[in-house]
Amino acid sequence: MSNTIHIQIDRADGSLQRLIGLVERRGFHIDGINMADEGAFRRIALTIRGRDAGRCIENLGRQIDRLFGVRRIGNDIIQSEAA
Amino acid sequence: MTAAAFKSSAEAAPQSGARLLVSTLERLGVEVVFGYPGGAIMPVYDALAGSRLKHILVRHEQGAAFAADAYARKSGKVGVCMATSGPGATNLITGIANAMMDSVPMVCITGNVAQGLMGTDAFQEIDILGVTLPIVKHSILVRDAADVPAAVEEAFHIAASGRPGPVLVDLPKDVQFATTSDDYGFHIPNETSRIDHDAVAAAEAAIRAAKKPLVYIGGGVKIGRATEALRAFVAATGIPQVSTLNALGTVPTDAPRMLGMLGMHGARAANHAVQDSDLLIVVGARFDDRATGKLAEFAPNARIVHFDIDASEVGKLRAANVAVVGELKDGIEALTTRMAGGPALDIQPWVEACVDAARTGAYRYDAPGEGVYAPALLKEVSEAAGDAFVAACDVGQHQMWAAMHCRFSRPEAHITSGGLGAMGFGLPAGIGAKLADPSATVVTIAGDGGFMMNIQELATLKRYGIPLKIVLIDNSSLGLVRQWQELFFAENYSEIDLSDNPDFVKVAEAFGIEAFRIDRRDQVSEGIQRLLAAEGPCLAHVVIDPRDNVWPLVPPGKSNAEMMEGS
Repeated sequence: MSNTIHIQIDRADGSLQRLIGLVERRGFHIDGINMADEGAFRRIALTIRGRDAGRCIENLGRQIDRLFGVRRIGNDIIQSEAA
Repeated sequence: MTAAAFKSSAEAAPQSGARLLVSTLERLGVEVVFGYPGGAIMPVYDALAGSRLKHILVRHEQGAAFAADAYARKSGKVGVCMATSGPGATNLITGIANAMMDSVPMVCITGNVAQGLMGTDAFQEIDILGVTLPIVKHSILVRDAADVPAAVEEAFHIAASGRPGPVLVDLPKDVQFATTSDDYGFHIPNETSRIDHDAVAAAEAAIRAAKKPLVYIGGGVKIGRATEALRAFVAATGIPQVSTLNALGTVPTDAPRMLGMLGMHGARAANHAVQDSDLLIVVGARFDDRATGKLAEFAPNARIVHFDIDASEVGKLRAANVAVVGELKDGIEALTTRMAGGPALDIQPWVEACVDAARTGAYRYDAPGEGVYAPALLKEVSEAAGDAFVAACDVGQHQMWAAMHCRFSRPEAHITSGGLGAMGFGLPAGIGAKLADPSATVVTIAGDGGFMMNIQELATLKRYGIPLKIVLIDNSSLGLVRQWQELFFAENYSEIDLSDNPDFVKVAEAFGIEAFRIDRRDQVSEGIQRLLAAEGPCLAHVVIDPRDNVWPLVPPGKSNAEMMEGS
């Protein structure tokens, strides 16, 4: 089961690294990345799946939301799809 | 958060980025900075001379980070440390991680090589922003001198707001040198905490439905300045409490319904109350594995009401039946108001059972023998120092003994490396705490292993005449590792022997610090009096039996119900 998270994030130094690092550190594999620049922001779509059954995507969403520079992420844009 | 920068109208005289950093720190009310100079931060040190900032020159950058951390924990203000690029910056890392794990507000300023050299493997170049990404709350690489004030103000705001943490500000050398007439201010956004009153009502309903409610107090209460609110809540409701390591003193450790610390080295009454409870009111705590033991068997009969400022802590490890996310002070005060508006709780049998268990399970200090019994000594130190007592602990057996046996009347009285468990914290932490509150009786409690990790900071004590008291509990070994090898590795003692330690009294004296030795139990009281009466810094070298263990103990991976007791 993989999920795609859509995130809008500032184009600051290290912001992409910060986001990717968090997702992997919190126990998720990244299967795909799509990124587009939007002026001062980046729009990123991450296709991810948990490394084991104990990984909760809602909690990951809250941890991403906590990052400074993240402008948008929410359950309404977390789309679940069959792996 | 929205950071709206604005440009002031007055035309200012050109200033360098380094000068702007110093003046911004002054404007933010910073009084003390812990640091160590080097090539890539020399313009900042040039600007520091003649400023209002008191710079404490440590002898290793890790000491600067630990001291700034403890300064923040004791003062409630943001701690500041600075270092040069490369090795200076990497030496800060353990201290940054320590602040992250225990949610301590800290701003770390690092110099870096000039922007043109970044990415070329220049001398002392390290991508410190990249290196520290997993252990900071946020980090900022400043690329323009005009951005320095806004970046520093933003760093302070982020470090201290919400759930606090360390923020790194990396300043390339060309940014420190560059001059600018622009003076960008920073508009600190007004963030108002909004408590969900439906959730508070649900919390009240859960408490009223419970027969065996228990408050599980975490370090977030102190950080959120909610100590008084929590004390008022437990006074109004009479619900018994347990505390995490980092929350000891939030409710005074000798209060009647405070059952003690929970977890691996928790009090028996505290762990059993958690296992028996039918409702855990979790306030600013995060279900750390050292607190919960085997998570699947933690508080098996309890519903969970979880108060936290960090939404990502709710449900991270244990699902909450009711979650109140926001400032703890607001949430707890709202709950207390609701509880006070209704009838008193009918939980007397549960409260009596908890209090009885705490009374009958109280620690004993009548261990046989002539040797020093460290738990009794630490208890006596804390009682002799009274309400002025502040412990700055290192990591190991002595840390657990201090947590279990010292009297703490307020949470700021117990400064310990909880989440990271970083040996070497005790001495620099004592320096930071004493500088934050000169009126406190700050006592560094260290073991012989951890003390050696930052022993160079004795020179800092001497240089600034900081009257820190040091209790060095010496068992000539890495005691907690030795204890685990005895209990869980078939007594295969591997690399824990430190019997070739130097003579610590002579070492202290070589640094110009008064020191004496305590070998026997009958020397303890007099030694404590001497230590506390000393005018300057003073070290008591306490020799204990290497076989002494920390009891009780929950074996790793076991339920908190399965506590081991020593013979």
